[in-house]
Order: sequence, then structure tokens, then C-alpha cells
Amino acid sequence: MEELKTVETTQFIVIKLGDEQYGIDIKFIDNIVRMQHITRVPKVDSYLKGVINLRGEVIPVMSIRIKMGLEPDVETKSSRIIILKLEQQGTIGVIVDEVKEVVTLDNDQIERMAYDSKDDKNNFLCGIGKCEGGLISLLDLNAVVMENV
Amino acid sequence: MDVSQYLEIFLDETNEHLQNLNTQILSLEQEPGNMDTINEIFRAAHSLKGMAGTMGYKRMQNLTHDMENVFSEVRNGNITVKAEMIDVLFQCLDALEEYTTNIRNNADEGTNDNEPLIKQLNDILKGEEGGEDDGGNEAPAAQEAPTQAADTASGGEKWKAVKLGETEQNVLKEAVSQGKKVYGLTVKVQESCILKAARAFLVFKAIEEVGEIVVSSPSAQDIEDEKFELDFSLVVISDGTLDQVVGAAKSVSEIEDVQGGVIDPDHIDVAAAEDESGAAAAAAPVQKEAPAASASAAPAAAAPAASAAPAKKKADDKKPAGNKPAGNKPVVNRTVRVDIEKLDTLMNLVSELIIAKNSLVAASAASGTSTTAVNEQIEYLESVTTSLHESVMKVRMVPIESTVSKFPRMVRDLQKTLGKKMELYMTGEETELDRTVVDEIGDPLMHLLRNSADHGLESAEVRKERGKPEVGSIFLDAYQDGNNVVIEVRDDGNGIDTQAVRAKAIEKGIITPEQAENMSEKESIDLLFHAGFSTAKVVSDVSGRGVGLDVVKSKIEALSGEVEVKSKLGEGSSWIIRLPLTLAIIQALMVDIGNEKYAISLGSIQTIEDISPDDVKLVQNKEVIQLRTDVIPLIRLNQILDVESKKDPAENLVVVVVKKGDRQAGLVVDELIGQQEIVIKSLGKYISKCKIISGATVLGDGEVALILDANTLI
Repeated sequence: MEELKTVETTQFIVIKLGDEQYGIDIKFIDNIVRMQHITRVPKVDSYLKGVINLRGEVIPVMSIRIKMGLEPDVETKSSRIIILKLEQQGTIGVIVDEVKEVVTLDNDQIERMAYDSKDDKNNFLCGIGKCEGGLISLLDLNAVVMENV
Repeated sequence: MDVSQYLEIFLDETNEHLQNLNTQILSLEQEPGNMDTINEIFRAAHSLKGMAGTMGYKRMQNLTHDMENVFSEVRNGNITVKAEMIDVLFQCLDALEEYTTNIRNNADEGTNDNEPLIKQLNDILKGEEGGEDDGGNEAPAAQEAPTQAADTASGGEKWKAVKLGETEQNVLKEAVSQGKKVYGLTVKVQESCILKAARAFLVFKAIEEVGEIVVSSPSAQDIEDEKFELDFSLVVISDGTLDQVVGAAKSVSEIEDVQGGVIDPDHIDVAAAEDESGAAAAAAPVQKEAPAASASAAPAAAAPAASAAPAKKKADDKKPAGNKPAGNKPVVNRTVRVDIEKLDTLMNLVSELIIAKNSLVAASAASGTSTTAVNEQIEYLESVTTSLHESVMKVRMVPIESTVSKFPRMVRDLQKTLGKKMELYMTGEETELDRTVVDEIGDPLMHLLRNSADHGLESAEVRKERGKPEVGSIFLDAYQDGNNVVIEVRDDGNGIDTQAVRAKAIEKGIITPEQAENMSEKESIDLLFHAGFSTAKVVSDVSGRGVGLDVVKSKIEALSGEVEVKSKLGEGSSWIIRLPLTLAIIQALMVDIGNEKYAISLGSIQTIEDISPDDVKLVQNKEVIQLRTDVIPLIRLNQILDVESKKDPAENLVVVVVKKGDRQAGLVVDELIGQQEIVIKSLGKYISKCKIISGATVLGDGEVALILDANTLI
């Protein structure tokens, strides 16, 4: 990889959770939909908000905020559900406060974070992206979506 | 020849033949002298050989060829059926199955030559043939002989025996008078040819380019339906020479041989007259004659008397084998093989249609436009979608026979490995289930049967002591019960020793001794389904690894079914599997609990009751109600689902009484909404922790409602 001089770029969708900006790799994103009625599912982890109907398919929706230990979501006009398609877990929706923009980051604009220790449960990031808008925390989706053990 | 397109058909048919062979050899073991069975076996083996040969699977062909030899000798009465022979034959079937599996997995039969088996087969041949001919190698030749003999003696010139009606004779005479030639042809198709009818059609077409076909034997219709053996005869009028006509026929691939000759119109008259006087069917315009009839007529007329008799006998011998596919043909014609994926797509579309219909109902109610006319149309649409759904479901249903028919063979093998005497009785093989379920149910059933055979049944001595018949019985009964299909595996063995089960569970650390003391009979039996539990003292080949029953349970639960166990110590136990008839669309009762809507499958609902709060009694600190003679525990759904009930506690309770097997429970809901046909959608892997919810459905207004699994609530 490193011998290639062409700079690899990755596109991220920038979302907001509270005041912080987070980036989600665009290749995992299937769709972004407006907030809609979420049917609660009983007896599941609190971060699982329930299920929604996405054009006839029933899709689970989770709250990143609760999963990351932030304040619970407050539904506003700018709240959105981002539908992610992951290899392992299938299709999952995540609730975000706001979807801002799409940024393209060169690989040298991304600072990879290397955490080896598995015990850091709150490690949901895979890197930090630097661009004009400031710093963007890049979400490690697998860690975000992974079920709590 | 590219045969890959036939691979699916080949695999399907091979499986059918193998299954058939298994069943037939089993019954041969019961009555070794039954000629019908032997013939049936021979036919199946022969078809297998032919198919394997066509597809180019040489090893498979060799093995079936040798098996066929043995059957052929059995059929001729040169070998008597013995137990060892049956064993060898079963091993052969296993080997064939292995080939088939290999082919299915990687389109290659593998490299196992199964030489020991082939040797054993040849030993059987040699051992029994004794003085006759020179041993096993002669058998294949003998096998070829009938066809060969029939060919040279009579078959090659079968056209001479083609009968002509009056009309045809006139046609021929006219043709001759116009200076055309009349030829008789006999076309022989290669034995390995799969689509004989298609080849015959090509021959017809090729000949029609150079001449005109007046008569064929068998009739054109029969040839089209593949109701002929390896050859058919034609009478052709042509301007060309004999060579041209024969050449045209030979140009078609997979044609082994074409023989022909000039027909002398005068000669026809004689031959026809002779035949007709015999048959007394002078006026029939097209005479349909079975190939066998013309074959047996031919040697009498053309072949020397000496060879006529054996040839005739061989031809007759050959007849059942050749007629079998012909007899089956009409049945085959009426069915279509459809890829299960296409049916899945169809099913999904039907689901979508039902959701759309539900939306229409909701929309018309919401907009207030529901006039009588609209309602009538909606009701009509409803009945159409319901019957459409039912038809699609029926298309997907197959009898469980395909799965259970391998069990008698398995039990027979178990008998040998376990050294116990047992008999399997099956009923209800025709019970139908969704195809996917039938495919999945095989393994769990096999586990249960093995379990019954190994743990359930006692050894012959013990059985004698207990005054039971020495031969143990295992029953497999399948039947439909409302919206469920029930499959019951029963044995008259020892039953489950709950004491021993508990002791073992304590030993394994699954439960504590204190827990064990308080356990009910039923709870103890449920321990058997615990992963890693096995009471067998010795780990045997058959069972005892402790992986069986929990696998059974999880597999059946994955199919939305359930397992129930009834057992009486000393008298036997029965395992009852209950499977839902449909997987995708169900009739459900929609209920309100708090602000949420839930669906309960109508299949599990027994009654709906209106109960005054005063009638709720406490038994062991649990709420119960008395309904007629039954005492039914109450389950307050709002508590289980963590919802705030909107109802005043003083109001009457709406209780939905559900049943699971013979147990009942009353589910307390806030309000009933009504009955609705719902499409079950999975919640996905991500939300798998919630056991009481079996799925979700999309309602008419686009909202998602969860489906309660009444079974887990009880």
C-alpha cells in the first residue's frame, strides 16, 4: 500500500452529537432518513431504541448517545436516523442529532488511533480527521454497533 | 457433450433412485423372493447406471454396473438373496450417496474407487454362479446380451414387422405407382441417451427432409412421450436412395445404428394381410402396437427358429425395465420443477401485496371515504389476497415423506450397531410442510430416533424380564393439528429416569442439589435439552456425546416450532415436535397494551374472556382465574412488556386465553383491536435477546407492531 504515491482519500459524513463532530465512513451508509416513530422493543439493552419500518423492511434502531454514555437523545427537527449496512450485523439505524456535510479526507489528514487494550470499552473511535471545520472524531462503527458483553 | 445443465436434474433423480433403492432393498430383506421388488431394484440400478454414464461419472457408473449385475443374477434366479449380500448392497448405496454428495459439492465424483465393494459384489456373483459361465466378468456380457441378441435377431429388422393399415397401404401403393421408393427403417438410439424422444424427433425431422414418413412403430405420439425402448421403426416414402434416407437418420447424434431396406409393395400386402387376419383389426387407421409385440412378432417371421426363442425371452425380460419410465411419464409431465428461490420471490410479493391491502384498508378508514362500494371492493380484494397466499403456501408444501423415508434404513443399521432388536412404525408420511421446514427437520428427527433407539429402548434381555416383547418399537407419527403440524417420536422403552437425570445434572454442575430437590418432573426432563448433557454411561457411536438434544431444540425453535417431552418410567417416552404450518403470513389478533400495539398469533388463541377483577384469585401468590373447570394462570402483559397500562384497575380485564400443547395461560391486555392478516418480518440478528417477541409486522398505517410469542410466555 505504502509504495503507492497517489494519496488515498476517504469520504465521511459529518454528524453532530451534542457539540462534537463525528465522521462516519460513507461506504457503510445505506440511507439517511428523518426521525420517525420508533416502535419500542421490550427487554432489550437500553441503547436499542426499537424498530422502524423502512419501506417495508423492519430495521432496528440504536442510540449512539446512550451507547457512548452521553445524555439521552432529544428529538429535534434536525434529528436523523442514519441507516448503516454492516457486514456482520446487517442493517441498523443510528440516531444522530444532525447531519452536517460530506467531507473528503486524504489519508494524511487522518490520524489513526491505535488502541491495543480491549478493556477500554468507551473506545468507539478509529481516528481523528483534520479539516477546515475543525477536528472530526471518526467512529469505529463495528465498535459502536457491537453488542455489550 | 456439455452436461452441466442437466446436473440439477441428475442430482435430483439420483437422490430419488437412491431413496427408492434403499426402500426396496429393505423390503427385499423382508421378503427375499419378491420378484416385483427385485425388478424395481434392477430398474432403479439400471437408470442410475445410465444416468451416471451419460454425465461422465465413471466410478459411479462402474459401481452401479456391478450392482446391476448382481440384481440381474438375482432376477434370473441364479443368486438367492442373503443377509451378507444385503449388507454389501447397503454399503454400495452409501458409497453412491458419497459420490452424489461429492458431485453436488464440487461437480466431481471424487476419487474413491470403492474397489473393495466392487470386489465384494463380484465375489457374490462368482460365489453363486459356480459352474455357470466363467465367473463375474461374464455377467456384464450377459447383461449386454439381451439387447444385443434382440438387436441382431429381430430388433435390427423390426421395420419388417411394422403393421400397416389400409390407408397406409393405399398411400404406399400410390407412391410406388408414382415411381417413388418405399423404405423400412429401424433406428436404434444409444443406451446412454437421455432425451430419447428429442433424438427421435430429430430423426423424424431429418428423414422428412428427404422423404415422407408414413407409419412409425410405436406411434409418433408414443415416441414423443418416450414410450419406446431403444429403437423405433419407420416406413418412409422417398425419391432418394436407401443410403440417403439411412444417412439422414444417422446424421443425428446419439443414434447408435440405423438399418433399412426396400419394402416391396406386394410383400407389404402379404405381411399386412397376415398380421391383420391375426389381429382382426383391419380398419384401424393407425395401429398402436407396443414395441414388445412387434419385437416378438419379428423373430417368428424373420429370425431362424433356433435363436427366436431365447431372443424372445430376453426381449420380454427387457420389457419391464424399458416400460418403467414410460409408465411414469404422464405423471412427470404434469409437474414442473421450480427453483425454490423463485417461490421465495413469489411469496415475498404476496407479502407485499397483503401489506398494501392492509394499507388500503387503513387509508379508506382514515379518509372517511369508506362507502359501501369501496368496502365491498376491499373485502373482495381481501378474499383474493388470502386465497392467493394460501395457494402459494400450498405450492411450497411437500410431504415429509422425502425426509422420513430414509429412517427405516437408519433404524435397521442402528439395530446392527446397537445389538438391540427394534422396529420402526411410521404413519402420516403424507403430511405436508413448507419445503424449507421439511429440509431442516431431518436432522432433529434423526437425533430423536437415535436417542430412542440408544437410550430409550432396553436390550432384549431386559425387555424380556420386564415382560415386554423382545423387539422394541419406535413410532414416528406425523399429523396436522390446526395451524400446526405435529411430529411425534415415541418408543416403548424405559422412559426417562428423572432421578438419574437430576443426579447427572448435579454431577455436571448444571444445577445444585438444593435446586434438584425442588424440581418438578417436567423441569427435570427439560434438563435433557441443556447443552452438554448426556445420561448415557458410555459414549457410543450412535449418541451420548451430549450434543444431540440441545441441537434438536435449537433447530426446532429456529423453525418457530417447539419440542415437548412426555415420559413414563418403564413404559416409554414420546417427543412431540410442533411446527407452524406457515412461516411468513399468519392470522393474528391485534391488541392494545398501553400505547403500544401487539399481535398474537390466532393459532395459539383459545378464547377471549371478559373477567371481573373480583374473579382473579391468588394461588401460590400467583394470579389465576377459573374458567369453567380449568384454573388458568394470568399473565399481565403490561408488566412483562414494561408498559404502563391505561386501564383503570377496577375495570373488567380483557383476557386472551392462549394454549401451548395442553397448557393454558390468560394474557391480560388493555383492549382488542381486531383480527388481521399479518406478514411476519424478522427483527434481525441484532435484536435476538428478546425471547417473547417472535417478530414484527408492518401495519397498514406504516407503523411497526411486534408479534408476541405466546409459547414463551406460558
